[in-house]
Amino acid sequence: MDAILSGQLLAAALVTGALYALTALGLNLVYGTMRLLNVAHGDLVMIGAYVAFWAFTLLALSPLLSLLGSAALAALLGLALYYGLFRRLLDGGKAAQRLEANSLLLFFGVSVIVQNLAALQFTSTPRGFQYLDEVYHFGNISVTGNRIAAFLVAIAICLGVMAFLRFHVTGLAIKALIQRRDAAAIVGVNIERVQILTLCLGFATASVAGALVSMTEQISPFMGFPFTIAAFVVIILGGLGNITGGIAAGFLLGLLETYGVALTSSAYRSILIYGVFVLILLVRPQGLLGGRRIVR
Amino acid sequence: MIRNLSLAIAATAALATAASAESVKIGFSIAKTGLFAAGAPSQLNAYELWREQVNAKGGLNVAGKKMMVEFVQYDDQSNPGNAVKIYEKLITDDKVNLLLAPWGTPHHFAVAAVLEKYKFPMVGNTAASVQLREIKAGYIWFPTSTIPDKMAVEMVKLLKANGYKTAALINNVLPFAKEFKAAIVPELKKSGIELKVSEEYPPDIKDMTAMLSKVKAASPQAVIVLSYPSDSVLYAKQAKEIGISAPFQFVAIGPTIDFYSKAVGPAANGFVTMGHWSPHKAEWKRAKPFYDAYVKKFNEKPDYLDTVLSYMSCEILEQAVAKAGLDKEKIRQAISTMTFDTINGPVKFQGVQNAITPTAFLQIQGDELQIIWPKSIATSSFKAKTGW
Repeated sequence: MDAILSGQLLAAALVTGALYALTALGLNLVYGTMRLLNVAHGDLVMIGAYVAFWAFTLLALSPLLSLLGSAALAALLGLALYYGLFRRLLDGGKAAQRLEANSLLLFFGVSVIVQNLAALQFTSTPRGFQYLDEVYHFGNISVTGNRIAAFLVAIAICLGVMAFLRFHVTGLAIKALIQRRDAAAIVGVNIERVQILTLCLGFATASVAGALVSMTEQISPFMGFPFTIAAFVVIILGGLGNITGGIAAGFLLGLLETYGVALTSSAYRSILIYGVFVLILLVRPQGLLGGRRIVR
Repeated sequence: MIRNLSLAIAATAALATAASAESVKIGFSIAKTGLFAAGAPSQLNAYELWREQVNAKGGLNVAGKKMMVEFVQYDDQSNPGNAVKIYEKLITDDKVNLLLAPWGTPHHFAVAAVLEKYKFPMVGNTAASVQLREIKAGYIWFPTSTIPDKMAVEMVKLLKANGYKTAALINNVLPFAKEFKAAIVPELKKSGIELKVSEEYPPDIKDMTAMLSKVKAASPQAVIVLSYPSDSVLYAKQAKEIGISAPFQFVAIGPTIDFYSKAVGPAANGFVTMGHWSPHKAEWKRAKPFYDAYVKKFNEKPDYLDTVLSYMSCEILEQAVAKAGLDKEKIRQAISTMTFDTINGPVKFQGVQNAITPTAFLQIQGDELQIIWPKSIATSSFKAKTGW
């Protein structure tokens, strides 16, 4: 019981939650604006992690700097996919359900290709490096530097994106698109521009999450799948397309996982996560924070 | 399901090479994609190094005649069912002359029946399970000595020899770890070592804080972590963070792989792990040259477990073929009866098992892995872990 009340678990829960929130943020943006179900989302985390790994190994560059490179590469990939795959799909004026199904298949293909290209290029040997791994003590809590850094960067980006959506005119346009796509077009929002921007932003944030994760975990070409799953659980918990709800749900999942496991056993981790997930789908299918107002 | 489908779509490319007249075709399946993909390079690198070395010497000695080695390999997508089909194809369609093993215990078990059916001998490598003794002897052999029940007995001896009386155990729920746990818990009890914490965790674990808090609170002298590579990294990083101070810390799978020390660094210093090989064992004349050649070719250290076992299986096949030629029955006879000179010292099979190499443990000491148990093959002595 002492362990439950100690700050150690809270620190772990917050770090996990911040990474979940950041990972899910991009998925939520892309789904919210375009109704694209990106099942390759976790592979963007993988790409970001590899960029950070190689930048650190070959150039001795801090992951906290190379995450800009991770973001840029993922954004470029988003741009290429938009023009190569999704532009026509989005222009077709198809019903949202068709769009979701088609995008699911397309992203599935993208995921397979990206994973296997990474495996061909880097081999499937796991990789890792050490950065900021000295332990800091705060009272009875001890945390490694890289986890503190990951937490701070993830929080900063989540807050930054929230502020951007609330105060910047383009951010407002993204929100408009999430809320009422047709109405947004009528009031003069440049839909295509907003879509491109959102796709790039969504991809970039996932990739940054990968750069942060690379400091604390081993990386491999097939590491992305659990992140895809976690991101989907988070955005459904928070309400599809609800950015603030998604961020809150990321932290909720982190707390749930860490304390749930502490109170029961690590063996119950998946049961806990999916149990709550199914419960939410049954009881509040619009998500915990989902309601009439889709975006806050 | 979705994942399997994706892998099925992705990985259909088979890398077969055409055989020329004076070559010997050696076939195998390998987990290039899927769950075990991270483990496969350790094995494939050993095969490639061996082929390169054999061909550089003018080819494989087939009962006195030199023949160049060619590989026929397919991705089994980490699926034992695919491995079965691939080995059938290798034997009946590609008509390979010899076989090398796929990666991992489930795959070995799956192809054993194919070998039996076609009476085709194959030396296994990366499989370790108490169940392998139940496989009918004849066409498959296992050079490993890291069998869970034997390791459990030896580990308790190692703990007793150092006077440790309390332990904590955390384990992944994958089969090898569960088997190891099932073997060691009764051994600990029998020896009077108190097991203060015992926790299981799933393979996709991302945070061990809760579990390690319990371990820390119990302050055991020995922490036994029955882990796979990714959770072995997680353990090192988080045990350091939380400050676990046990002088004996065993981490099962991972520390023998080159990437581990890069990912974890000095934190891993003092970890004990499973393995029975070291390049520093002077009596094993082939060990150091193998190590040097591997480092030169791949620019990293070999995996002291899987790469070594895989290379050993090639050496055993090479020596058997030198004597017996390519006749399957003669090869089978040769493998069953000969004593082989490998990088891990002499190997001789009794039934399916290696009867010579003892069950042993390694310890990370500075930049090196040393054999610290048993004394008969040790290259160093056990040193208590003193910090992170």
